[in-house]
This record gives sequence, C-alpha cells and structure tokens, in this order.
Amino acid sequence: MTASSAAQPDQDPFILKVENLTKRYGATVALSDVSLSIRRGTIHGLLGENGAGKSTLVGLISGQRVPTEGAIFLDGAPIANVDVKAMEKAGVFLVTQEPMIIDHATAAENLMLGIWPSKNGFVNWRKLRDDAARMLEGTHIDPQALAGRLDAVARRKLNILRAMFGGGKVIILDEPTAALTVEDRAQLFAFMRQLKAQGVTFIFISHYNDEILEICDACSVLRDGVLAGGTEDVGSLTSEQLSELVLGRGLALFQRERRTFADEAPVVRVRNVENGHLAIPEFDLHAGEIVGFTGLPGAGAKELARALFGLVPSQGSIALEGQATRPLPADPRAAFDMGIAFLSDDRRRDGNIASMSIGENISLSSLAAVATSGFLKPEAEKALSQRYFQAMGIKAPSPATVVDKLSGGNQQKVCLGRVLATNPRLLILDEPTRGIDVGVKQDVLRIIDGLSKSGVSVIIVSTDTDEIVRAVDRVCIFENGAIRVQLSGEAITSERLRQGAEANA
Amino acid sequence: MSQVTTAAATKPSTAQPKREGGRYVLGWVLHNVVWIWLIALVIFFGLFNQFFFTTFNLQNIMVQATVLGMIGLAVALPLLVAEIDLSLPANLGFSSAIGALAYSDLGLPWFIAMLVGVAVATAIGFFNGLCITKLRMVSLIQTLSMMIILQGALLALTQGRTLTNLPDGYVWIGQAAIGGWPIMPVIFVVALILVAVILRRTVLGRSIYAVGGNPVASNSAGIRVDRIKIITYTIAGFLAGVGGFLLGSWQMAITSNQGSSYLLYAIAAPIIGGVSVFGGRGNVVGVLGGVMLLTVIQVGLAIVSVPSFYVGMIGGVMIFIAVAIDAIRVRYFA
Ligand SMILES: Nc1ncnc2c1ncn2[C@@H]1O[C@H](COP(=O)(O)OP(=O)(O)OP(=O)(O)O)[C@@H](O)[C@H]1O
Ligand SMILES: [Mg+2]
Repeated sequence: MTASSAAQPDQDPFILKVENLTKRYGATVALSDVSLSIRRGTIHGLLGENGAGKSTLVGLISGQRVPTEGAIFLDGAPIANVDVKAMEKAGVFLVTQEPMIIDHATAAENLMLGIWPSKNGFVNWRKLRDDAARMLEGTHIDPQALAGRLDAVARRKLNILRAMFGGGKVIILDEPTAALTVEDRAQLFAFMRQLKAQGVTFIFISHYNDEILEICDACSVLRDGVLAGGTEDVGSLTSEQLSELVLGRGLALFQRERRTFADEAPVVRVRNVENGHLAIPEFDLHAGEIVGFTGLPGAGAKELARALFGLVPSQGSIALEGQATRPLPADPRAAFDMGIAFLSDDRRRDGNIASMSIGENISLSSLAAVATSGFLKPEAEKALSQRYFQAMGIKAPSPATVVDKLSGGNQQKVCLGRVLATNPRLLILDEPTRGIDVGVKQDVLRIIDGLSKSGVSVIIVSTDTDEIVRAVDRVCIFENGAIRVQLSGEAITSERLRQGAEANA
Repeated sequence: MSQVTTAAATKPSTAQPKREGGRYVLGWVLHNVVWIWLIALVIFFGLFNQFFFTTFNLQNIMVQATVLGMIGLAVALPLLVAEIDLSLPANLGFSSAIGALAYSDLGLPWFIAMLVGVAVATAIGFFNGLCITKLRMVSLIQTLSMMIILQGALLALTQGRTLTNLPDGYVWIGQAAIGGWPIMPVIFVVALILVAVILRRTVLGRSIYAVGGNPVASNSAGIRVDRIKIITYTIAGFLAGVGGFLLGSWQMAITSNQGSSYLLYAIAAPIIGGVSVFGGRGNVVGVLGGVMLLTVIQVGLAIVSVPSFYVGMIGGVMIFIAVAIDAIRVRYFA
C-alpha cells in the first residue's frame, strides 16, 4: 500500500529472511535453528502440528518475543531489539492466535489501537469513527459496540481488520480462520488476494489443508521446532500429501458411521426456549446421538448451546432421562450437576485458567469427584488429570506445566479434557477442534464418537463443515433464532451444508 | 520434548550450558529474593548492633511479626481473588474495641466478649463480600469507604480515649511465655498452617486461585464466583478479628486509632511475598517472608539507632528495593 513498495526491478526477491533462528524457554526448545526466506508479494503458508513452533516463529518475526539465537532480516536489513510497535512501524503486522481485545473499549477503538489517526498528539475522533465504520462495512459489527460484549468471531475479525487496514507490507495471520464462517473465509481470502496484488506479503498459519491449498503460493512445515520441509509450489500438492508433510506419516481421516434414531425415545427433551435471540419450541436428543449445530453468527446455534448450559438467562425447560422436567439451568454449576457439560469457543476468555497447571485445569470442573468433604484427594486428582492429559495427547513435559506456556492447540486440548472429565450425559461442544491440528483432530473426533457409543448425547456447534460431515448423525441449521432445517443420514454433505439455511431441504 | 528422527542435527554448542546455568542460578536467587534479602538484613543489623541477636530482641521480632502476620494473611486472601480489602486494619481496631466494650460495658465474660469482637469482624468481612459481589461495588472504593467508616466508628466508640480496662484473661495471651518465649506467635503459626491447608488442600482453596486467575472461565467451569469471593472476604474479616484481639492483648490497651498504622505494611507484606495484585498467584510461605522482612526492617532500624526522622524513609527504600527486584524477576525470568 505504501508507495515505496512498488516493485523495483533490482529488489531482493525475498522480503523477509530468518537465519538460524532458535528460541528456548528454559529447557524447552520451541524453535531450533530455523532458516527461511519469504518471497515478496506471496502468501506463504506455515504449517505444523500443535506445539511445532509456528506461533513462536511469527512471534519472533513480529517483535513480540526475542530470539535466543539467530537473525531476522526485513528487506535485507537486520532487525534486532525491536518490539511490536517498532515492527508495525516497519510494516510488519501480526494477528495473534488468541484475540487481543480491550474489553471495555468500543469495536472502533479496538480496530484503531495504536494506529489512531492523530494530530499533534490528539486523537481525531471523527476520523477514527469514519475510518472504523468504513472498515467494518459488511461485517455486521457495530463500531460503537463495547468489544467485551461481542462474540468470539467478531472479536477475531477486529484483530484481522486492524492488521489488514494497517498499511503493512508483511501481514502475518496466526490461525485467522478458526471458527470463521464459510462466507467470512471467502471474504478474508478475497481481501488477501486484493492486498497481494498490491504487493503485500502474507504469512498464513492454518490447520486446514483446503485453505492452504486455496490461498498459499508457497509453504513451510515445522515439526518439533525444526524446519521439516516445504514447497515453493503448493499448487502441485494434494491434501493427503500436505497432511503427510505435516505429520511425517499418512493420515487416516475419521468418519463416523451415522445412525438414525427414528424408533427410539429421546433422552433429552428441551421445550420452549426463549430469550432475546432465540425461540425454540422443541428440541430432542437421543442417547448416543451426535447432533451438529450450524448457522451464521447470531442465528441461534451458539445461543442455544449457551442457554442449555445456563450461560445466558433464558426461559424454557429441559428434561433429561430419569430427571423431572426442570427450568433450564440457572448457571454452569447447576448445569454440571444435571450432567450437562459445555466447551466454550473462546478458550482464553472462558475456557482455561491460564495461570494454573494443566492438571488443575483438567480437574477444575470435577473437584467434587476428587474430594471428600471439601478436602482434595491428591492421588485421585492426579489420576484424573493424568488420564485426560494422556487421552488428549497434550504436548507438555507433565500435567504440572502451567497452561500459559502451552501452544494454542494444546491449550484447547486442556479445555476439552476438563469438560470430558466431568463425565457428562449431555456434552455440548462449541468449536471443539478450534486450533487443533489435523492429526489430533481425528483423535478428538474418535474420542467423541467413543463417548456417544457409551450413551452420551453430544451437540457439536461448528462452522467447520468437514468436521460436521465426519462427526455427526444429524445437523440442525439455525436461522433467526430458530432451527430452520434438519438433515440426517445421506443428506449431510459438505455441499449441502455450505448452502446454509436458504436452500430448503 | 520428543526428538524427531528426520530433524536435522542441531549445532552442538559448548558455551551454552554454562550460560544457561548462570541464568538458572540468577533466576533462583531472584525467585527467593525475599528470603535472601531477609537473611542479609538480619546479618547486617546483627553486625551493626550485638543487641539484635539477643533473645529479647528475637522474641520482640516474633511478637511484632504476629500481628502484622495476621493482618497480612487477611489482606492476602482478597488479593488472591483479584480484589482488595483496605478496611481490614480498621476492622481489626474497631472489632477489638467492640470486644473490649462488650466486657467492660455489657459485663460479658471476657472470652465471650472477645468472641463477639471476632464475630463482628467476620460479619464486616462478609458484608464487604456482599457489597462487591451482589452490588458489584468496586472493592478498592467500597473497602476504602468502609475503612473510613470503621476508623470513625472507633473514634466515636472510644470518644478519643484509650481503652485500658482489659481483663486479665484477655491480656493473658499477649503476655504469656513459656521459658521466656512468648506464646502469641503460636497463634500466627496456627493461622498460617490453617490458611495454607485451605489454599492447597481444599476445593475452596483451588476455587480461590481459579477465581483470581480468570473469573469468567471459573464461572464457566462451574465455580460459583460470587460465593467464593464472599467466603474469602469473610475469612479475611475473621483473621483481622483475631489479629485485633492479639494486638489488644499484647498492648494491654486499645487506642482510638488502633490498627490504622498497619495499613500500608499489611498490604506491602503479601505483595512483597509474591502475592499478585492481579489475583490467582501467591502462597502462604511468601506472605510469611514478606511479614518477616518488614518486621526485621522495622525492628532493625529502631535498634541501630537511626535518627527517627530517617526511619520511615530508609524503611521505604528497603521495601522499594525488594519490590523492584521482584519486578525484574517477573519481567525477565517468568
Ligand atoms: N512461554 C513459554 N514458556 C515455555 N514454553 C513455551 C512458551 N511458549 C511456547 N512454549 C512451547 O513452545 C513450543 C512451541 O509453541 P508454539 O505456540 O509456537 O506452537 P504452535 O506451532 O503455534 O502450535 P499450535 O498449533 O498449537 O498453535 C510448545 O512446545 C510450547 O509448549
Ligand atoms: Mg500457535
């Protein structure tokens, strides 16, 4: 976007180079001797399993962290001792994996954070508002809304838009598409192509093969902190080859054997759920059934999931088998006591206690089960934590590791472990595999499948059509706070799901 | 971390372990800075004045640390849930006056009167908890106003006089000694152990850390956040009440501004000891370290006969250094 970046013939074809980059945290080697060059005006994919070092690498490039060893060159000039602010000034913008949002500021202020239009040290509020309104066009986000009240997807978009409009020459997106809808993705990709045509370079991190294949020109793969491979020509690869490159082995994709429950009595009966955003007269679930909820943001999928768990005050009743019909739970504790467990789509905000250890997080919702009259039983707690630490395949030295130090995907596994450890009868998962790598994703889907076989009823809220197709027996597509379409059996296909609620079944 | 077979061998570097080792030692030193600083000051004061190591003085330090310890422990609890209670020192003074007056004016037996005082302190803690959870009052301001109310109430209650009409039973614990060693610190040790057990071994303690670490996530994890905060404030009030009794018993008097002088030290002690003002981090051992450090500074400066005009300033600088070193540790070694 800056005039100076118009390609000059004798320019170095590589805008960004890292040489022998190493990052250690105490005994942990997060990144080891990585050398990499990124071609000007391309979209460079960065792939790897959870904990491979992707976020660490882009954190070093963007000035968020300081390398232990090695050098980074931007436009041929070495960069050292810089911070995020300096790098943004130099034209490198990073959208971090976890939303970076100031809750008590408005959406507009969050968009303009640090790039405020100002004159003589005073913020030009009118210009700020106008610019923000322009940036938010077509996103349905109110510029004056408090950011803390926005949902996870909207908060994510604020970060992405801030970077895209920041006028940078290198824009780094760390898993930007996790939990975005199909349209959002399309919009983002169109925008990326448009900026690329203007000479902007992108580093794009994603666990979705189809995205890498669609948008990237080149890609690099990290494995356990080491550069394990890459290609200058992504177009020549298939999705299977990409998975193999990432995992170092072939990948068996999971596919659930779909069941129908036509002649069984439901074990979960939800009636007349109503709040400001929802009107669901009736919703039933069978023992061992897995139902997918999808829909555009605000259409009701997430809202119903949260209402069932007591996170949004709502009218309505729920009857679980063997229990009397009751009002919807008033708070999460009441929900857990009824046998309902919920995984939030925003692990940072209401998933993990980042300052506590993996083990303490896993047992947090099941403390009563590992205590007698209020006193914790250390062995029982340890056994529980250890069990889910292993089941979820969390990559860390031990369950005593503090969650803050884990990679994004591994933090997600901790959340999931805590929820599963409660032994629920009704399991509600909002974007369960958000940020989880292709390999582990299949494991998670297998675990959920196994739970359903032991009689647990599952609701999966997801914008990932592929995941829904692979994991569920039935799909509910939401629109305007109601279930508009239900699909089951053969009718569940990626193509059909992408059409959304409009095309009536 | 598992090593991958396809990974290229990383450059062997011989200089590395040494540097890492040095860094490790530095990290350890900074991590235990409160205790190292404490030992250094003890040696320093001891060398300066032989009197510092006399039994009498060590006993004095223990007794002084007891009251500060009780109140510092109380202050630490709301900090752990990412709130604060500034009214605890005032609560300590006010509740002990209530206890004393319940004896002298209502004629209750001293033990019952003392319990009334502790109960009042506990109730005030409970009330503070209600205000900041159910009414969503900001704890800093709510407890600041409560502090002013309680200080005023103490003044009104005593009419500016010092209550000295304390029964023998009441003052016994403050004076009692076995073989010359005061037994009052035993109460502090018991309180330390109790709070440590609560924090480390109970569902309540785990919930306290969780709520302080991330209240929104705690709620979603099935913890009743408001309830935990109220319980925390209530326990803090109780500890302040016991501290009030101990202070009255030890001084054999309750002044019209009893407890108020503890405010800054009571807040400084847990923070120096590593209790985070942002909640969720800190432990009882740290609080003990902070309390001992502050007490040694106070007593030591008095002993080495620093002119009294300088005591406040030098004490402040010593606290500043401790906090600054801790900040450096968090910045570079966390
Ligand atoms: N502050 C820290 N202290 C200690 N170890 C850390 C810290 N931050 C990251 N690590 C470790 O560094 C490694 C790489 O983490 P990183 O976040 O870069 O992974 P990632 O490739 O982004 O994974 P994901 O796909 O899960 O986001 C992990 O093993 C992680 O545990
Ligand atoms: Mg990451």
